[in-house]
Amino acid sequence: MENFLSSISEILEVESVNLEDELDSFEAWDSLTVLSIIAFCDSEYSVALSAEEIDNSGTILGLKQLIESKI
Amino acid sequence: MNLKFKNKKITGILAVLPEKEIKFEDEIDNYEFTRRQSMKLKLVMGFNKRRVVNKGTTISDLCVFGLNHLFDRKLLRKEDIDALILVTQSPDYFMPATTHIIHGRLGLKQDIYCSDINQGCAGYSYGLNQAFMLLEQDKINKVVLLNADILSTKVSEKDRSSGPLTGDGAAITIVENDPDGKTIYGSVKSDGTGADALIIPAGAFKLPSTEKTAELVKDKAGNYKALDHIDMKGDEVFNFVQREVPPMINDLLDSAGSKKEEIDYFMFHQPNKFMVKQLSNVMGLSEEKMPNNLVENFGNSASVTIPTLISFNLGQRLKKESFLICICGFGNGLSWSSLFLEMGNLDFCETIDYDN
Repeated sequence: MENFLSSISEILEVESVNLEDELDSFEAWDSLTVLSIIAFCDSEYSVALSAEEIDNSGTILGLKQLIESKI
Repeated sequence: MNLKFKNKKITGILAVLPEKEIKFEDEIDNYEFTRRQSMKLKLVMGFNKRRVVNKGTTISDLCVFGLNHLFDRKLLRKEDIDALILVTQSPDYFMPATTHIIHGRLGLKQDIYCSDINQGCAGYSYGLNQAFMLLEQDKINKVVLLNADILSTKVSEKDRSSGPLTGDGAAITIVENDPDGKTIYGSVKSDGTGADALIIPAGAFKLPSTEKTAELVKDKAGNYKALDHIDMKGDEVFNFVQREVPPMINDLLDSAGSKKEEIDYFMFHQPNKFMVKQLSNVMGLSEEKMPNNLVENFGNSASVTIPTLISFNLGQRLKKESFLICICGFGNGLSWSSLFLEMGNLDFCETIDYDN
């Protein structure tokens, strides 16, 4: 997961992200961003996430833990 | 389920595109999103131009127009059609089948097998499988496969998830016996537990259309749609395709004793640019081998995308050359289906505009 934060920053179109940041606080947060995260997790970690799971994960940390729980 | 066919071939493909072209940029104001968000979508999803029917045009209109085009140019003779198969989810009527409507409008012979197949985006290979099976009959020498849908009429204008990419169209594929034909390999799979991932909830017998089913309701993502409209759970469909399609293709090629590198073209269904791109990444295929330019030019026209993609990208070349092609469709049902075959030296392979 070493590239996780930099990849997520790129998807969210910001310089950097902090683990405690709320996902829906980002300007780029929309259904396409959610789909991009699904695609990223599928190709990078072979993990399938649903849009609902991502929405419910709340923060960057929550998202990271969600992915880790499925690897 | 793996299938195998011997001594069959495709001898012609004609795509019929409706006359009306809609540009995404003209529709942006229909959606409750910022311009920036919409432009990002355009780039990633391939929202650009799409072809749709004018109000009142039906799939039988598109099919009859295309078939008359072939009759007029002596590329097909009425009396040679032994079977007429139509794959659609937007029939003219619930009854009778639209193949019979087309049969009547064209005055085809009575000694004919007519049948509609209810399949969506997996429907091109489904239709071809059916055509190949029919050709096993001694009396059937030529099958006309029609793929046609006008689902743009079942999408909410205020639904940004499905609206800007849904296109209409029809395709005609001629399938015949060929004593020198190479073996064709196919595969079909189904998962009905995912039936609600892509569905039009109202309008048929279970939930007939009423004023209530026509009411626009806002969803979590900010799109407005009614129960009469197409409802797609984008994330579920995406995960299904990424999970099921690559292994299906590996199995198919294994059963044919072929390797990916030997295939000239992977002509896959075109739901949107993003999904095809992800598939080509996972499968390690270049865009040259796996064309991804249909949605941005014509929109996603369900089972019509693959024959249109073939005609749009290979067109005239398929009249003189021959290629090893892998076809794969995936969509509502859930349903996914693929074929691996040699295709070439076609009598015709072109795209025409519908004009009434």
